[in-house]
Amino acid sequence: MAAVNKTSAIATVIAATDREPVIFTTGYACRIAAGLHDRPNHFYMTGSMGLASSIAVGVALEARRRTVVVDGDGALLMNPVGLIAAGSVPGLPLVHVVLDDGCYASTGGQAVPSHHVDLCAWARAAGYARTVDTSCPEQFADKLRAALADADAPVFIRAALTEPDAPVPGRIDPELPEHARRFRDHLARLG
Amino acid sequence: MISVTERVATTAEMLGTELVGAGFGGFYGTPCGILSPLYLALQDRAGLMTVTREDNAVGLAAGAALAGRCPVVLMQNSGLGQCVNALASLVSPYRIPMLLVVSLRGVHPDPTPENTVMGRLTAPLLRDLGIHTAVLTPEADPAVTARELYEVVRDPGRPAALLIPPDAFGWRP
Repeated sequence: MAAVNKTSAIATVIAATDREPVIFTTGYACRIAAGLHDRPNHFYMTGSMGLASSIAVGVALEARRRTVVVDGDGALLMNPVGLIAAGSVPGLPLVHVVLDDGCYASTGGQAVPSHHVDLCAWARAAGYARTVDTSCPEQFADKLRAALADADAPVFIRAALTEPDAPVPGRIDPELPEHARRFRDHLARLG
Repeated sequence: MISVTERVATTAEMLGTELVGAGFGGFYGTPCGILSPLYLALQDRAGLMTVTREDNAVGLAAGAALAGRCPVVLMQNSGLGQCVNALASLVSPYRIPMLLVVSLRGVHPDPTPENTVMGRLTAPLLRDLGIHTAVLTPEADPAVTARELYEVVRDPGRPAALLIPPDAFGWRP
């Protein structure tokens, strides 16, 4: 079984998506995504740690399109209310991916105090229709593609990362209003 | 002759009607006693999604704005405290359009000491966040207020706030 790190997991998300909106959380996730393949269906949330899933709920709710959020374990534990919001909307087409490396990678690798926390159980308790817990890259890709094909209620996928990352690309282009406009224009073109 | 309470309740209903009519939506909020009549009016007219924490409501509204809507978030000013980072690091730097309807707990005639500090901080906080701010005065015409705020939020595409004094819709300490 191949190992999975944040870069390979994000490459899997990018390969599984095409025009679907994808929101990437702050820290390394958005930098890795922008470095691998920058495209208009990506929204890079460079600040506001903990709010990526809330943004994705808003997009899924108003665009009525399958929407992906690439979240982190530290970010989800900073603000778990996004789970409550997603679970409170019947039929929300949200695919909530959490890349769980057990640490705050971009701030020095401090451990996330999550040893006793079952994120999938939280998602189920909040009302998510399905949860997946995997450390296998093939299973992650398969479950992600399945969710993107038929999610008509929130799906939660926890991918446990088992390997460290190669050096991470530099910071996101600081023209943030232009970035927001590009994503909004992309959603408008989707109709 | 209608009572004072009925008359001010009508202000909330008129504002709700005018916000929807001006083009605002979707509506998100975390409950507040001062805003309760407007909260109910918007629930009736357009549907309002309750989000259990104010910064998450701002996050949902940001997603809605990116999806092309002109969203509104209702919150108490105590919740504005929860939102500082969402506004400072998401809404302002990405210039995401939305209207914040923020009640003014801790301002006359609300004497509660637990709200006094945020009552004092609310307007300067919004000013320093670079968010255009208006106050719903007793003389204000809700239709004009809603249209003016819509123009600020929609055309340049930026956030704005409407502050609601404690007694605007009939709330009493």
